[in-house]
Amino acid sequence: MSSLEKRLAAEKRFKFYGMFAMTLSLFFVLILMYKIFSTGSGAFVRTTINADVYFDPNFIEVSSNSSKKEIMKASYVDLADQVINQNHPGLDEENFIKVREMYTRKFDYQLRDYIVNNPNVIGKTVNLDISASSDLDQIVKGNYPRNVPEAQRKINDYQLSILDSLDSKGKMSKTFNFWFFTNGDSRDPETAGILGALMGSFYALLICFSFAFPIGLLASVYLEEFVKPGKITDIIEVNINNLAAVPSIVYGLLGLGMLIGVFGMPYQVPLVGGLVLGFMTLPTIIIASRASLRGVPPSIREGALAVGATKMQTVFHHVIPLSLPGTLTGTIIGMAQALGETAPLLLVGMVAFVMEIPGGAFDPATGLPSQIYLWSESAERGFLEKTSAGIMLLLSFLIIMNTVAVLVRRKLEVKW
Amino acid sequence: MVDQNSNYALQTSEVYVHYGKKMAINNVALNFPKNEVTSLIGPSGCGKSTFLRCLNRMNDVIDICNVKGKFLLNGNVDIYSPDIQVETLREKVGMVFQKPNPFPKTIYDNVAYGPKIHGIASSQNELDEIVKDSLHRAGLYEEVKDRMDDIATGLSGGQQQRLCIARAIAIRPEIILMDEPCSALDPIATAKIEDLINELKENYTIIIVTHSMSQASRVSSKTAFFHLGNLVEYGETGKIFTKPDKEQTNDYITGRFG
Ligand SMILES: Nc1ncnc2c1ncn2[C@@H]1O[C@H](COP(=O)(O)OP(=O)(O)OP(=O)(O)O)[C@@H](O)[C@H]1O
Ligand SMILES: [Mg+2]
Repeated sequence: MSSLEKRLAAEKRFKFYGMFAMTLSLFFVLILMYKIFSTGSGAFVRTTINADVYFDPNFIEVSSNSSKKEIMKASYVDLADQVINQNHPGLDEENFIKVREMYTRKFDYQLRDYIVNNPNVIGKTVNLDISASSDLDQIVKGNYPRNVPEAQRKINDYQLSILDSLDSKGKMSKTFNFWFFTNGDSRDPETAGILGALMGSFYALLICFSFAFPIGLLASVYLEEFVKPGKITDIIEVNINNLAAVPSIVYGLLGLGMLIGVFGMPYQVPLVGGLVLGFMTLPTIIIASRASLRGVPPSIREGALAVGATKMQTVFHHVIPLSLPGTLTGTIIGMAQALGETAPLLLVGMVAFVMEIPGGAFDPATGLPSQIYLWSESAERGFLEKTSAGIMLLLSFLIIMNTVAVLVRRKLEVKW
Repeated sequence: MVDQNSNYALQTSEVYVHYGKKMAINNVALNFPKNEVTSLIGPSGCGKSTFLRCLNRMNDVIDICNVKGKFLLNGNVDIYSPDIQVETLREKVGMVFQKPNPFPKTIYDNVAYGPKIHGIASSQNELDEIVKDSLHRAGLYEEVKDRMDDIATGLSGGQQQRLCIARAIAIRPEIILMDEPCSALDPIATAKIEDLINELKENYTIIIVTHSMSQASRVSSKTAFFHLGNLVEYGETGKIFTKPDKEQTNDYITGRFG
């Protein structure tokens, strides 16, 4: 074989190895995606039981004239029990409990919310789809097996027979589970939603951006444009590159020790989480910003200086605007990274059970990744699909942010 | 010695420039008569740009560059004196670079930028007038009057360079420094710039670095020949190109080295 043939054969082999490596990684990604989607898609559907609901004034503490606040505060537990009795006549006490377990524990809240939106319904009968309990939901979705001994089932034989009779009457149906997007966390999988965590992450990222972007931009401008290069800038440069590689848990410890320990900031709030994510993102922003400042041709600076602009004017009128696309791209990529970081959130306490949707950066909250972590710790099958659905949401946000970063660069970048 | 003759826009003497330890200009003395064009010629690396950049203190930007010497503007202003603000100096001494370097902003903003930061115009109308007038003098107005809001980097190379000239004259300098302003341009664009220089010298003192002997003889009345950081010969352009005193000059203009 001639030497050229040998080299060509080597090239062919190399191409083949490359293809193989790529196919293999693609294969793993597909498996991961398939697993997440097949488990997670269930979270977007909820099993409901159709029932005639008579809003019996005898069981309701408020009237249609009551204020919204009063309606919100009143209890509807008796009304819920009454609805079950009406739809399943002749239950003894033991069976009543079994049937009650088939409906969501938040039955009363569902009734309350209906009254809040339709106060005139009191005294009338309405046909409503009531959410099933998570265990029933999982049976209907086929995630829990039916044909195993009763002791191994969460739904007993009696409940199964009721389920089948409801089903034959066409009372069982499935609806889109918008609760997943509008509710905070809950002990009951059927009512648990991601909005609280989403808002927590949103506020944390807002704080992260407001903290890290201006500081990162100014620091890089100062280092790139105003400081004479020398030993000190070299040391700073090395340190910044190092900080970008520091594991995020270290930043979490910094937040815990400094922000909470020394400055006495509260535990569990997006403010602290956001600041910690900001510390973490800062080196990324500085590195990206410095690179894009360096990309602005010196001739632009000279042009501005030559018409008598001060250094400050040159930098702020010309250099920064031209470097901004690169800086923003780096910032968005840094924030996408921050959005997925779990360890810092764990350390500053953004991983507790929080039902309320946070209204600001000072309210207790979880974040997307820590909520996923929380749910994944839960034994109930209902939370498993929430975990995967949460991951799907997180991945979508990451994809969106990274796409925006690419678009920003394409759209705004000046070509020289 | 610097003589106090105010027919000179700029007088320099005993100029030494070092980049670090390396000498770039060695004891140069050169005066620039008002409203005339002076060419700086010489082989590559002889220090023409370095010397030119001393005149509006652009060398200040380069950390390792060390400038010494006497520089007098209009016979009495020492431009390196600590009382002189470099921004006001550059308002009086404008510069056009070898490679056209318009800001990636609109044509209008390019020209308006200087007047804006120096507060030259008191109203939007006046600013519009200055922009229009500067583009006129730079011979660009007719070509761009309908697209003042287009981004300047979309212009042709020659147009960009004339825009840079318009940008330089918009702040009404007394002196315009040009560092090989045509080296990136084709012959037609070059001819336009040369015509422009001939018109501009009515109102401005122009100092131009060029590699083209023919350009130097077409546009300038005085020529200075540099070699290895030294000013070898200075005189009337006609004389330098026909019967120079120094052999080195003769060798250079007849193309024997450089
Ligand atoms: N920023 C700088 N740092 C260090 N040395 C420099 C710098 N700029 C120029 N020099 C040196 O100073 C000397 C003069 O350079 P200068 O650019 O003034 O030459 P020039 O006559 O303009 O050449 P050309 O015709 O090629 O433009 C050269 O030896 C060059 O290497
Ligand atoms: Mg030069």
